[in-house]
Amino acid sequence: MKRHYWTSPIAIYLFLGGLGGGIMFLAWIMSAFVFAGQADVLGPALAGPMFIALLCLALGCFFLVFELGQPPVFWRVFTTATAIIKWGATMLSIAMFFNLFYVLAYVPWFPVFENFFMPFRAFNLGVAGIMGLGIMIYTGVMLSTLKAHSFWATPALPILFTTSATSTGCAAISLSLGVWPGSVHMTMASYLGAVAIHEVLHVVDIVLVFVEIGILLIMVLSFLGSGTRTAKRAAKRWVSGAYAGWFWIGMIGFGLVIPLCMYLSGVSAMSNGVAPVLVLCGGLLLRYLCVWTDDRQPLPGEERYYNKLPKSDAQFLHAWEDGDLY
Amino acid sequence: MTRNVMVIDLRRCVGCQSCTVACRTWNDLPMDIIYNPVLTEGVQGDWPNVHRNWLPTLCMHCENPECVPCCPTGASQQDEDGTVWVDHTKCMGCKVCVNACPYGMRDVSHMVPRFDQYVRKCTFCRDRRQNEPGKDPYCVQTCHQKARIFGDIEDPNSEVSKLINSVETFRLFEELGTNPQIYYIPFLGGHR
Repeated sequence: MKRHYWTSPIAIYLFLGGLGGGIMFLAWIMSAFVFAGQADVLGPALAGPMFIALLCLALGCFFLVFELGQPPVFWRVFTTATAIIKWGATMLSIAMFFNLFYVLAYVPWFPVFENFFMPFRAFNLGVAGIMGLGIMIYTGVMLSTLKAHSFWATPALPILFTTSATSTGCAAISLSLGVWPGSVHMTMASYLGAVAIHEVLHVVDIVLVFVEIGILLIMVLSFLGSGTRTAKRAAKRWVSGAYAGWFWIGMIGFGLVIPLCMYLSGVSAMSNGVAPVLVLCGGLLLRYLCVWTDDRQPLPGEERYYNKLPKSDAQFLHAWEDGDLY
Repeated sequence: MTRNVMVIDLRRCVGCQSCTVACRTWNDLPMDIIYNPVLTEGVQGDWPNVHRNWLPTLCMHCENPECVPCCPTGASQQDEDGTVWVDHTKCMGCKVCVNACPYGMRDVSHMVPRFDQYVRKCTFCRDRRQNEPGKDPYCVQTCHQKARIFGDIEDPNSEVSKLINSVETFRLFEELGTNPQIYYIPFLGGHR
């Protein structure tokens, strides 16, 4: 293994993309199915979470572009049809536009936007929600199609990422529901709607965290038990190696089990405030660990070869550039 | 139709790294980029029955490359003769192809300005072969042991075609289905 080619910006991008997608998807599900016909009431309450989703996607795109070797030409991502990353970028763009249109309908300072976009808000939310689902799945599929990496090339990864994204989406909506400067739209019915959504998401997140723990343990332990030699080595790093603390204490403990206990203990300050934050941190940690577990099956002698090479900061590598070779 | 492949005779390779140096010279590579490392697992066996094998590597120019369809910009391409190459004027440096290659034969230099990085890889010296048709890649010309043989596998009279059809060869990670086009003649004693 020469080095990690994808680092923190990609991990953050995957997290924020999934988070934004999860918020939009859940907002659409709540508005269109769970509380069907209540769009007028719920709209102002969901404007805050949708704005957060827009910020997440925009920030995620920034990190993605920042990671590029040549950021000024990022638009080239749209130029081929076969690449999965192109479809991801397309879905992100569409989602951000329709999310923006939805949020503009609730911006209190610009009545022009409000008047123009209000009639289309259900459609805008629908498109953003469907794209959000696509983005959640895409963040996992992007890694799982890279079959050179044993730990990524599993169908469990997109399922895990989608579950985690939905769970973090639940957490973010719980934290931001009803928080919106456009209080002129917020009626008593809107507040009651926000409380109802909160109750539903509380239960949904309990189920999702349960499922996530199951998928995560099944994936990692099956790699450890029956994976390829490379996958076993990676899984061992998670279970009992360098990442064990992050995995057991950080991700499983603080990211999933403790929030689950808080959720199960009923509605309280802990379950409303602390648990969602822990779920969000666990989601970010999951992306970090996955991106860092980019083990590729080495060629015979490859690790020996690259371990012997000087690191890029070795002094003699730069002597030529610095002009002090002699 | 021409289909360029390379046969590497592991019985002949002595690990001199001439091919590595020649490649670096021809392609004017940054210090942290190596297109064709010559690998070894070190001395194997117990004294006095010891041996050391060398494995020259390079891009496998797979028939079904993982790195080409995943490229979102179309910079990663495959010629009709099978050569896989990167058009750096189209590359945006997303490194998807670097992660997609099962052989780790693509790289991005960290010794160039941060926002002027693009993916680099072996092209079977595409520029050299286009400018002077009939010439071999520089690593092939440089190998004094004649361990590297380059040619058209579709031509039954070519040396590579004769070798592949007459002696036992193997390819790296064949099970992945990428159909790599670098054929290795095993070490003496059949060691792979």
